Amino acid sequence: MELPKQIDALFRENGELAKSITEQIHKLAPIVSKEIGREKIKIMNFCGSHEWVTTHYGLRALMPETVELIPGPGCPVCVTPSSDIENVIKLAMEGYTVYTFGDVFKLPTVKHYKKDEVGSLAAARALGADVRIVYSFVDAIEDAKKSGKPSVFFGIGFETTTPSYAVLFEKEKVPKNLLFYSSLKLTAPAAEFAVRLHKSKGLVPVSGVIGPGHVSSIIGAISWDFFPREYKIPAVVTGFEPIDVLAGVLKILQDLHSGDITYTNLEYKRVVKYQGNVFAQVEINKVFKPVDAIWRGIGTIPKSGLDLREEYSMYNAREQLGIKEKPWDYDLPPGCRCNEVTLGIAYPTDCPMFMKACTPARPWGPCMVSMEGACAVWARFGSTERITKIVSEVK
Amino acid sequence: MCWAVPAKVVAIDTDVIAEVDLGGGTIKKVAIGVDNVKPGDYVMVHAGVIIEKLSKEGVIENLKFIAEEIQRTEEIMGKSEEEAKKAADEFFKEAMKILES
Repeated sequence: MELPKQIDALFRENGELAKSITEQIHKLAPIVSKEIGREKIKIMNFCGSHEWVTTHYGLRALMPETVELIPGPGCPVCVTPSSDIENVIKLAMEGYTVYTFGDVFKLPTVKHYKKDEVGSLAAARALGADVRIVYSFVDAIEDAKKSGKPSVFFGIGFETTTPSYAVLFEKEKVPKNLLFYSSLKLTAPAAEFAVRLHKSKGLVPVSGVIGPGHVSSIIGAISWDFFPREYKIPAVVTGFEPIDVLAGVLKILQDLHSGDITYTNLEYKRVVKYQGNVFAQVEINKVFKPVDAIWRGIGTIPKSGLDLREEYSMYNAREQLGIKEKPWDYDLPPGCRCNEVTLGIAYPTDCPMFMKACTPARPWGPCMVSMEGACAVWARFGSTERITKIVSEVK
Repeated sequence: MCWAVPAKVVAIDTDVIAEVDLGGGTIKKVAIGVDNVKPGDYVMVHAGVIIEKLSKEGVIENLKFIAEEIQRTEEIMGKSEEEAKKAADEFFKEAMKILES
């Protein structure tokens, strides 16, 4: 059997192990709940893929009542500010070829281009703009070289995506006609922001965090050590199969029980190293610098984004095209609660728009657009609440 | 956005571009985001970039982590160290059978 198939057999199609870990979680959770004096042991994830696994495999339904799994800021598409999308739409309507990932294509804006009905890159293309969906930055480079047209790549993503841009800029593979509009985000500052918000708002505090596996493959499990060290919150970096997430929950319970909360646990050892991918870190640091960044519906979080360094300013779309940053203005559509969903203070089902005015086919808010937005995930695979309701209705 | 899939490196095109087999005969050109990658390596690919290598040794370490967790819970629930270790060893032995298949 080839390695990927073996991994599937061990971590995905392993009902016996899932049952065994779930039983251990059920044994430990009531003990820990009493020990820490909280009725709910709230565990937050910071990756849309973790939310996907949790919901798709119905892991919430396997949890005891005392354990609550909540999605946190883990979807870069959901938090891309409306002003960035509006700026890129304007470039597309003015004749630039715009390259973007498929997830970004349908993202709605709050302000429309020249009062026309151009509220997304999809709408711009429908009106004749040259908007091209690509699989990767490599594909955009090849296409821009062939066309020779003035072009802009809409650079979205967390730390996982950033190496693809960094290595290609650093090795001088990007043609002069391809500018880069950075909307890159860093996960840790937003994760800390969300956890602090739960405390300051007087909500049930976050008792444990599941660190994003693929982001951590770049920045290292070590990057999450501030949670155990400064906040005494257990952290575990896990993979993206159901066994990985269950093992992560169990580890958090064990740490809470022992009180030995000093460093980040690393479950996803088949991919992630404690120090991360040092090669990629060096490349990223050569090309990008940390900047304050706007998170959609939330506002500015200090040093939570990346933009090209001065040495690469000839590729920087904002600088080359004179695009001025405006102060943040609330940028969610009326009624949308995507910001609260992103910060883990509301579930998608708490939003009155969910699966009514806002559906995957016609997304009203950004969390319904990307496959990794919590609303889109819950819409496709259902929530525990919806399943429980359906079961009770059937009974 | 941070979804990544396992792939096998088929060829190294340049210092920064490799061809990978994503399965089902899908071959893609991707950026190389790791050190010392060579044809035949299993890697994780995200949005057109190799973010890390995937190894059998890493999977074994992953399984050891879970085995330690199993042992720890059994100990917390009152089993002797020997009994708890036995439960963990049984899990690890079964898992290794899959990895050696």
